Amino acid sequence: MVYKRYMQTQTINEDVSVSLVFNHHTRVVAPMKVSWRGRVYTVKKVGLHHKFREGRTLIHIFSVITDSSFLRLAFNSETLNWKLEQIIENQA
Amino acid sequence: MKFNTAPPSVLHIDINSCFATVEQQANPFLRGKPLVVAAYESANGCVLAASIEAKQFGVKTGMRVRDAKQLCPRVLVMSTDPWKYRNIHLLFRKLLGRYSPHVSPKSIDEFVVHLDQVLHIYDNDPLLVARKIKNEIEATIGDWIQVSIGIGPNRYLAKTAAGLIKPNGLEVLDTTTYEEVYRHLPLTKLTGIKDANAARLRSVGIRTVWDFYEAPLWKLKAAFHSVTSYYWYMRLRGYEIDDVEYARRSYGNSYSLPRPLETRESVSPIISKLVTKTSGRLRKAGLIAQGVHLALQYKEGGYWHQGHKCAKHLFSTQDIYEEVMRLYDGAPHAPLRHIAISVFELHKENDLQLDMFTNTLEKVHLMKAVDSIHKRWGDYVVYPARMIDTERFIPDRIAFGGVKELEEISI
Repeated sequence: MVYKRYMQTQTINEDVSVSLVFNHHTRVVAPMKVSWRGRVYTVKKVGLHHKFREGRTLIHIFSVITDSSFLRLAFNSETLNWKLEQIIENQA
Repeated sequence: MKFNTAPPSVLHIDINSCFATVEQQANPFLRGKPLVVAAYESANGCVLAASIEAKQFGVKTGMRVRDAKQLCPRVLVMSTDPWKYRNIHLLFRKLLGRYSPHVSPKSIDEFVVHLDQVLHIYDNDPLLVARKIKNEIEATIGDWIQVSIGIGPNRYLAKTAAGLIKPNGLEVLDTTTYEEVYRHLPLTKLTGIKDANAARLRSVGIRTVWDFYEAPLWKLKAAFHSVTSYYWYMRLRGYEIDDVEYARRSYGNSYSLPRPLETRESVSPIISKLVTKTSGRLRKAGLIAQGVHLALQYKEGGYWHQGHKCAKHLFSTQDIYEEVMRLYDGAPHAPLRHIAISVFELHKENDLQLDMFTNTLEKVHLMKAVDSIHKRWGDYVVYPARMIDTERFIPDRIAFGGVKELEEISI
């Protein structure tokens, strides 16, 4: 049986540059652009923002999409660093 | 006794296809596609949630991934991401808490909201509250998250109403609608009435929900032979019988092995990790235990379990591990499929008895030091040496149906 694949998932776990916007009216924080390996991704939509703790460190996860990719970004609230944890190219 | 004529003031809120919908919320490219969240992505993995699109192909919770792919070859299979679902659970608790001071989570994806003391604020209209809740979920939690809300005079009928239309239902089961619902709902669609109870009811001539409702108490007693008959009699008439909170009586963790294990050497690291998890949760709750229990399921289908009460109080990982291994050594040794350990007979940590022959306080200080390291740096920063190489075993999981586990969720 042939299974059609919609997506190709890559686990990355690399540091990335992220530009972020905070809207003081809506109190919403959202990544806008992600720069990784010389390429700039423009965020079209934040699907979900969730958080958890690793010890006392609060980690924020932003699940976002660009025109053609899903990105999972992790923000470490102690080091203030960003990591690109996962990228999924949408092929549907 | 007639149906309860009091205004329906209990809301049951059920997140539709919870884990799968949350994954679609996180990744909008997955929306509209058949997908399942499974314990493992392999063919033998158990489906924990199917998206609404996958359900249209007949895919259901509890199936194997292999069977889901048979029904829907295009289905996407994802593993669980517990913190995503826990965050959504906490957001729901916060949102619902703004509508009523009486909100009880029933599971990771089900909530009960009692409106009786606040209904006057909403013009005595529970439908108005339900619509507001639905709108607020869409606006603040996620535009893809859908819920079915049932409204009834008691918890049971609110849950029944929530199950009438999925996804995105909003139904009222009260004195004006119950006859219509009871006349059309199949008996086994009632929560708690599956094959065995349906057979009991059939034995006294009850074949439909309407028969069940119409049956006098003596007939239900003839079917159930217990106080359960009275509970059903009251439930179906809309009187509250299920508003009971049970105190926690044990802590435990379990694990289904990806491949069968038989030898003590191969099983002990797994038991050690289960004990490390359980003992950490016990101490975090400020409790100590006096009993341990071990349950084993064998590859060939057998089941063995045993528990014992100890003379001393248990709180240290090492002591609990030793007691569990004592039980394990008395169990039949054959390839294992599933291991569950638990501690019971709980007491507050202040009740700890010192021991004449061992330095109990030394153990207390050691465990406090270990727990503070975990609190600062995260779980499993320090662990027993026998746990080396267990990283891939016993991942973080959501406890199904465990209301007490939900109290431990915090960020």
